[in-house]
Amino acid sequence: MGFEAELLWAEKYRPRSLKEMIDQQDIINRLTRFAEEKNMPHLLFAGPPGTGKTTAAHALAHDLYGDAYMQFMLELNASDERGIDTIREKVKEFARSKTPPEIQFKIVLLDEADNMTSDAQQALRRLMELYSGSTRFILAANYPSKIIDPIQSRCAFFRFTTIRREDIINRLKFIAENENVEYDEEALDIIYEVSEGDMRKAINILQASAYLGKVSAEVVFRVVGMARPKDVKDMIEASLKGNFIEAREILRKVMIEYGLSGEDVVKQIHRELMGSNIKISDEIRVLIADYLGEIHYRISQGSDEDIQLSAFLAWLSMIGRKVGV
Amino acid sequence: MPWVIKYRPKKVDDVVNQEEAKSTVLTWIHSWLEGKRPTKKALLLYGPPGVGKTSLVESIAAEYGLELLELNASDYRRTQDIRKTVAVASQKKPLFKKMMIILMDEVDGLSPRSDAGGIEELMKIIPNSINPIILTANDPWKDSLRPLREYVTMVQFKQLTTNQIIAVLQNICNKEKIQCDREALKFIAEKSLGDVRGAINDLEAVAEGYGRVTFNIVSLVVKPREKNIDLWRTLNSVFYAREFWQARKAVNTSEEDYETLMAWINDNIPAKYEDPEDVFRAWDSLARASIFLKRAKSGNWFLLPYVFDLIGPGVSFARKNGQVLRNRFSYPAKIKEMAQLKSVRENREGVARTIAKRIHASKRIVKSEVLPYLFLMMKYGDINRVSKLSSYYSFTEDQLRYLAGSRVKEIISSMNREVSSVKETKSAESSKYAAKKKRRSRSK
Repeated sequence: MGFEAELLWAEKYRPRSLKEMIDQQDIINRLTRFAEEKNMPHLLFAGPPGTGKTTAAHALAHDLYGDAYMQFMLELNASDERGIDTIREKVKEFARSKTPPEIQFKIVLLDEADNMTSDAQQALRRLMELYSGSTRFILAANYPSKIIDPIQSRCAFFRFTTIRREDIINRLKFIAENENVEYDEEALDIIYEVSEGDMRKAINILQASAYLGKVSAEVVFRVVGMARPKDVKDMIEASLKGNFIEAREILRKVMIEYGLSGEDVVKQIHRELMGSNIKISDEIRVLIADYLGEIHYRISQGSDEDIQLSAFLAWLSMIGRKVGV
Repeated sequence: MPWVIKYRPKKVDDVVNQEEAKSTVLTWIHSWLEGKRPTKKALLLYGPPGVGKTSLVESIAAEYGLELLELNASDYRRTQDIRKTVAVASQKKPLFKKMMIILMDEVDGLSPRSDAGGIEELMKIIPNSINPIILTANDPWKDSLRPLREYVTMVQFKQLTTNQIIAVLQNICNKEKIQCDREALKFIAEKSLGDVRGAINDLEAVAEGYGRVTFNIVSLVVKPREKNIDLWRTLNSVFYAREFWQARKAVNTSEEDYETLMAWINDNIPAKYEDPEDVFRAWDSLARASIFLKRAKSGNWFLLPYVFDLIGPGVSFARKNGQVLRNRFSYPAKIKEMAQLKSVRENREGVARTIAKRIHASKRIVKSEVLPYLFLMMKYGDINRVSKLSSYYSFTEDQLRYLAGSRVKEIISSMNREVSSVKETKSAESSKYAAKKKRRSRSK
């Protein structure tokens, strides 16, 4: 193996140019035309996680400006930036910086744009107009319906779909062979099933499995089981059994060690409850969904996460005792 | 002489029921006396009022023959005062005694506004002090003390139980030769909520005024101090209220801000209620209060009264089935953990930031989608790959410990081996090169 650097494969095997991208062929063709014509409108990339939205934006910029494209691209992430004001400052600063040769515009990539409030999006719309002379915006979002209409109407819309089975499996094979990793075909199938067309997730599972030895079905199951914070399931089961105090300790651990936000925890609880892992009657399942939805709404409105989730767990243990789960 | 002074502990042994705190403080003082200055030059003794924080320091000074510079809250308020007194004392060798202890009471009483700069001044003084500095506080988790907490070793003093306080009171009654009913002492002790000093004051007031201490007198005279209701009192009133107005008043007159109060109630519901329905009703009420508070804070301040209704009476009357448990109130874990687990948070955010930048995703995505796999790789993965991965992302030792747990040593030594083997190959190559050069020059 020598002294070759080791990095996350999600980073190492990210396509650099549009030509290297697999899947999403219609989209790639249209983007390639923008690169050739050296012109483009504002773009809105929508689709599930791990389908190539961010990668396509980088590849497009690479094909427009060459290897040193990052000097002409500003990469922002709505969920990491502190509000629209910092975004405005950064865009303003960036718009003033030097322009690329031959091409009339620079690119602002705003990832996870659907995490912005509609007020912030209104401000963003004004920004897009203000600097439309010198910049083009690429917005990436999981849910396009969360993007306000005035922005949607100013962008060319691209819908990314989950990546096809054969494309994911071929990519995994390519990576495995390149990394000298032994694998079973069956194991790759399982990785595809679990990743649900999310390439980043598929590659992460492959890497973690490869680190543990030969990539077999058994190892993949182990990795998936261990990585999914099983704690959330334990937490629900503890509450349903009436072990409220234990459930609450797990909640603390999940929020501190993994740094999950209240909303993340709610979503994971929802995922666990709607699956078949937890044995409860369907009637109770509906009841829980109703209350969980209420808790989700309260947290989204800025209410205290710890208090709301504790209230949920207290409710769950009460229900659990009543119906004798 | 007031009894609180007369019966103040004179010897270290007189400080009762604080064994853990006592041994921590003594070990720390011993290392100063042996000339080994501890890394942290200050202690912060914390706990409810009247549990012996100041007394312990005074008795240590007396017993070991050390000079004691005592500064009360009112003495050292402003930056200049602190410079004049503490800064000077921190560099001074006492003339006649072995060592000087600097004791500053009630640092949580420093107001961030009118005593501006006081805490910052202390943080400058502490690391360079040649004398041990001891601070005391009732509430060390106050926001204004956050920066200071890194400069001190924290020592917790426990709240005394009713029985422990009764024993102290009984001892005084014996020495003063006063007739005291056990029931009366119990009443005083309960009303004091763990504050020995307060209990002794109450005892003295009754004894002086009536010449005897009976339950009838005591139950009429001794009242919980309403002025300056502190957290313990507020919580007690909330969880034990009999009438709507009692619970509401407790919340309304509390000097704590609403969030602190809610954090306390949030963590103490399971200590006080047991029946699942009671527990849920209490939490439901608190959760609804949290919604109202959010609404009030976004400009609708007229909604604040409903917050009081829900966190006071709402929690009190949630109890329908069970008893109030006898567990003591505890500090909210959230506030404690936030201080103690600050480093976990820092490492987590640091790792997430590094990776987010490299894979072009948000920290949020990295935390939920990448970290779970990274934990696995780092904890159980092939050591060769793991150590290379660690060097590539330049994880710090703390970050490695966060990611790989106890495996951190193995990873670091493997990283070091790698570095040295790279060097060896390089030096081997360069010596080969040098040999070639020699040969070439010889052939010339």
